Amino acid sequence: MAKNITIFTTNTCAYCGMVKKWLSAKGMNYEEVNLDEQPDRQKEAFEMSGSLTVPVTVITKHDDTREVVVGYNLAKLAPAVA
Amino acid sequence: MAKEVIVYGADWCPSCKRLIEKLNTEGIAFEYRDVEQAEIGNEHLGIAGNNIPEGKRGIPTIVVDGEMQVYPDDEWLKSRLDFTSDQTPDTKVHDVVMVGAGPASLAAAIYTTREDLDTVLYEKGVVGGLASITDWVDNYPGYPDGISGMDLGENLRKQAERFGAQIELGEVTGIKTADGLVELETTDGPVKAKAALVATGSDYKRLGVPGEDDYYARGVHFCATCDGAFYRDKRLVVVGGGNSAVQEAMFLTKFATKIDMLVRGDKMRASEVLQHDLEKFKDKITVHFNTSTDEIVGDGKLVTGVKGTKNGKQELFETDGVFVFIGLKPNTGFLAGTSVELDDIGLIKTNDKLETAIPGVFAAGDVRSGATMQIASAIGEGATAALRIREYLEELAR
Ligand SMILES: Cc1cc2nc3c(=O)[nH]c(=O)nc-3n(C[C@H](O)[C@H](O)[C@H](O)COP(=O)(O)OP(=O)(O)OC[C@H]3O[C@@H](n4cnc5c(N)ncnc54)[C@H](O)[C@@H]3O)c2cc1C
Repeated sequence: MAKNITIFTTNTCAYCGMVKKWLSAKGMNYEEVNLDEQPDRQKEAFEMSGSLTVPVTVITKHDDTREVVVGYNLAKLAPAVA
Repeated sequence: MAKEVIVYGADWCPSCKRLIEKLNTEGIAFEYRDVEQAEIGNEHLGIAGNNIPEGKRGIPTIVVDGEMQVYPDDEWLKSRLDFTSDQTPDTKVHDVVMVGAGPASLAAAIYTTREDLDTVLYEKGVVGGLASITDWVDNYPGYPDGISGMDLGENLRKQAERFGAQIELGEVTGIKTADGLVELETTDGPVKAKAALVATGSDYKRLGVPGEDDYYARGVHFCATCDGAFYRDKRLVVVGGGNSAVQEAMFLTKFATKIDMLVRGDKMRASEVLQHDLEKFKDKITVHFNTSTDEIVGDGKLVTGVKGTKNGKQELFETDGVFVFIGLKPNTGFLAGTSVELDDIGLIKTNDKLETAIPGVFAAGDVRSGATMQIASAIGEGATAALRIREYLEELAR
């Protein structure tokens, strides 16, 4: 199980909405960082993911290890939050 | 000890029926409370009221030993109830399964569910399809000031779900017929239905040049609404000269300070209206005709430029990123090896009833050969397909 989940999003990104919907349907809470509202955190999203894209989902596990999922990718998200 | 399970539902609600069937299959005892009875309706609102999304009825709602969940999914149920089978395969024969949940399927689902046909949609990407990732839609009738693509997609989803459409997030990987039924192979396992609608639309075409894969999402992009925000005060290259390329280049001026548009031919393919709009962005967008895109180069981490050939001469366009809009490729790969007939570009051939070569399998929207490739027409085709599917099912029942 995840200890906490952070999603980097933007206002116009439809795939971000899909990740949020999917997590909510699983009853999981997440913190959202909207890069349109907090552009100063873009660097952080890039450093975590190595990509200039959203959504970026950062899953912190109970042992404090981290998994980063780039894009809306259920094949990677599902095991990462399991 | 057995848990106390209460299900709030109504007889007209297909997802309630499904939940009940699931609990029965798993041998889980529960008490059913019909919210159509005023007293129970009030009781349900009392416990679930705050958790019901706007515009919805909030059923089924389940209460397991006092813990309440509106619209429980499999994951939620499995973690609270003793399901004996580890996976609950979808063994039911649905009336209709739709492949894709873009405008065409969502429109079709509004019609089929209102006719009380049990309808399941599979979507591998965004519910709302390409419409949902379009920044702004100005030509969809009924919205005098235009509407954001994301809102339009969301409205279609809500309307389809209101009547009971079930949207599953997963991909359909194959389709066949057996014993008069359509059998779909999905990432969640096989699914059976009496009829199917293929409305899978299309995906962005890739350039197929060196550097494109290496720098994917690190400077090479195919979705402006998704990734445009990373190019605030940066330089960009947009490849393409059609409607999408022009529309998206204009959207990207919200972020980028300078955009070079590389157009292979000697003129734009975009509509007159869009070309006229493009004129207004002259100070930010420079159009280069007769320019091919040959290679995307970078520093190993991010893109730094695009190598092209302009009027026969090689040129380097320095840039922080490249957005590629060179047209679309039909999503019909999963039909390979089936008897569904495709045209030269891979679009599905249908007759005037929107039937493909496989009985019971229909096609609508952008993926259909001869389609107009617009949201309004995709929605029209969805409605037509739904009515033809109903006729087909009536025929089948005779
Ligand atoms: C940049 C851009 C701008 C546009 N602007 C406009 C505009 O202003 N006005 C207008 O009318 N039209 C516009 N269009 C066109 C419009 O988006 C399409 O005509 C419309 O979305 C077609 O709907 P559809 O349902 O047929 O297909 P799509 O919208 O493409 O939906 C198909 C869905 O099927 C899913 N899918 C595909 N394969 C599978 C599979 N194997 N399993 C599960 N799911 C699958 C896809 O993920 C997708 O969500 C634009 C298109 C683009 C690209």
